[in-house]
Amino acid sequence: MSVFGALVGVTLRALLARRRTILLALLAALPVLIALLVRVGGGNPNEARIFEAIVRSVLPLVALVFGTAALGGELEDGTAVYLLAKPVPRWQIVAAKALVAGSLAAGLSVASTVGATVIAIGFSASAIGTAAAFGVAAAVASFAYVALFVAASALTGRALILGLIYTLVWEGALAGILEGTRQFSVREATIGIASLLAPAGTNLRGGLEPGGAVALVVVLIVGGLALASWRLGGWEVRGTE
Amino acid sequence: MTATASRPAATRTDGAPDAAGAPTGGAVVAVDHVSRWYGNVVAVNDISFSLGPGVTGLLGPNGAGKSTLLHMIAGLLRPSAGTVKVDGRPSWRNPAMYRQVGLVPEREALYSFLTGREFVALNARLQKLPDVDRATASAIRTVDLEAAADRPIGTYSKGMRQRAKIAGALVHDPPILLLDEPFNGMDPRQRLHMIALLRSMAAEGRTILFSSHILEEVERLADSILVVHAGRLAASGDFREIRRLMTDRPHTFGVRSSDDRRLAAALLVHDSVFGVDLSGGRLTVSSSDFGSFTRTLPRLAREAGISLHEVAPADDSLESVFAYLVRR
Repeated sequence: MSVFGALVGVTLRALLARRRTILLALLAALPVLIALLVRVGGGNPNEARIFEAIVRSVLPLVALVFGTAALGGELEDGTAVYLLAKPVPRWQIVAAKALVAGSLAAGLSVASTVGATVIAIGFSASAIGTAAAFGVAAAVASFAYVALFVAASALTGRALILGLIYTLVWEGALAGILEGTRQFSVREATIGIASLLAPAGTNLRGGLEPGGAVALVVVLIVGGLALASWRLGGWEVRGTE
Repeated sequence: MTATASRPAATRTDGAPDAAGAPTGGAVVAVDHVSRWYGNVVAVNDISFSLGPGVTGLLGPNGAGKSTLLHMIAGLLRPSAGTVKVDGRPSWRNPAMYRQVGLVPEREALYSFLTGREFVALNARLQKLPDVDRATASAIRTVDLEAAADRPIGTYSKGMRQRAKIAGALVHDPPILLLDEPFNGMDPRQRLHMIALLRSMAAEGRTILFSSHILEEVERLADSILVVHAGRLAASGDFREIRRLMTDRPHTFGVRSSDDRRLAAALLVHDSVFGVDLSGGRLTVSSSDFGSFTRTLPRLAREAGISLHEVAPADDSLESVFAYLVRR
């Protein structure tokens, strides 16, 4: 097994070993359940509104928990020292953490998105197209969020709080007041990417222009991982004397 | 202060040649005027020394700066001033160094979901060892952890965790080993086993630095020692030399006898005694020479016909020993 494989393996087991993974899976199942209930009750759930709700709540929350646990959790409890005190390039540690956390977050949010969308629309060619577009947007957004939160974990021990403030205040409350914050909002970029990919007539509200959305995601993933790698190279052990 | 020739280790203060007369540049670990502060708090204050092969004990009370110093050598803390070099290269921002270094941190946190064997194998993989299984098995055997190797670390006792950490640190057979309080949580048998192991590793030419706040551990294992107190290097060199300094410092004893007042008068005449105190209904004697005083006291008492009920050192805590070494 390569060094990278070993890093991926231990990170995956660390994240799956906790009960929080089950809680997050339940959270991801919630939109699917809600869509199902509305459907069974004879209603006609709107797939665009459900997707927007997932992008506002489930997606950032799942990415926040995995993104801060993968690196930040180990830096905090001291186990990261066993990875850092090795002749391993720091970017490999960061990349392995982000890959695993991003994949888990993407897995849950894509399952949530695709499941809820298909139930809302029913099986049809256009439903598959919409579900695929929403799923791709959710996957890309998961990796962008995780890159952001992994970088925050390398920079500070309070990444979880900062991440909450970013998603709730910056992307949530401030977005309605200050128009400019939308340019730096993963939520808006996600909606933008989904609009770009979805079949015509999908009624999504808001969202960045495709160019801006893709640029933000690329900058977050590349820049976030580069920043985290650089910062991890100069990481200092905490809590000694 | 220079190590005696019979000992393999050489601990030197800055710039001094070691026992073999080699220049400082040949040192495996070189700490040069290193300080580390956190805001206004100085954790390590202008410490210089260099280490060669052998076991060196880093001795000091809790909070003296031992962990800070070890972490700076291990490249996990940046010195606020000065330089730390391992094998001639700065240890800060130099991950390639870890090929040569095995680190046993003090913190107990481990991947509790891995078995001991998986944890050691992870260390072997991250060191890019060609034969992971063999190196893993050998390290586990070395620390005597075979019986528990396939259980999750979460079920381990403190001593077993400690041994798993040590196995992980020496799986790549490093020439330099840094251990922060390695004997914490070990029972006496494991402690002896580990002392024998570290001694034999040192005899093979490795450079081993371990920290401890327990004098007896250091005495049993270390060829040479560094005494740290309040962030300063209080003493360094051959263990027996430091031990003599510790023993020869002024001592204070509390004495109870059949006639404290007469004993005090008799003692005051003696050269090695520079103070007696009868306040508080108790005789306290200060002596400048431990050896001479402890030989003289029973003789004086016998000659005066006084029975001694109790003689107890009043200030024999390590803390006071360290404080004395710093003031000296």
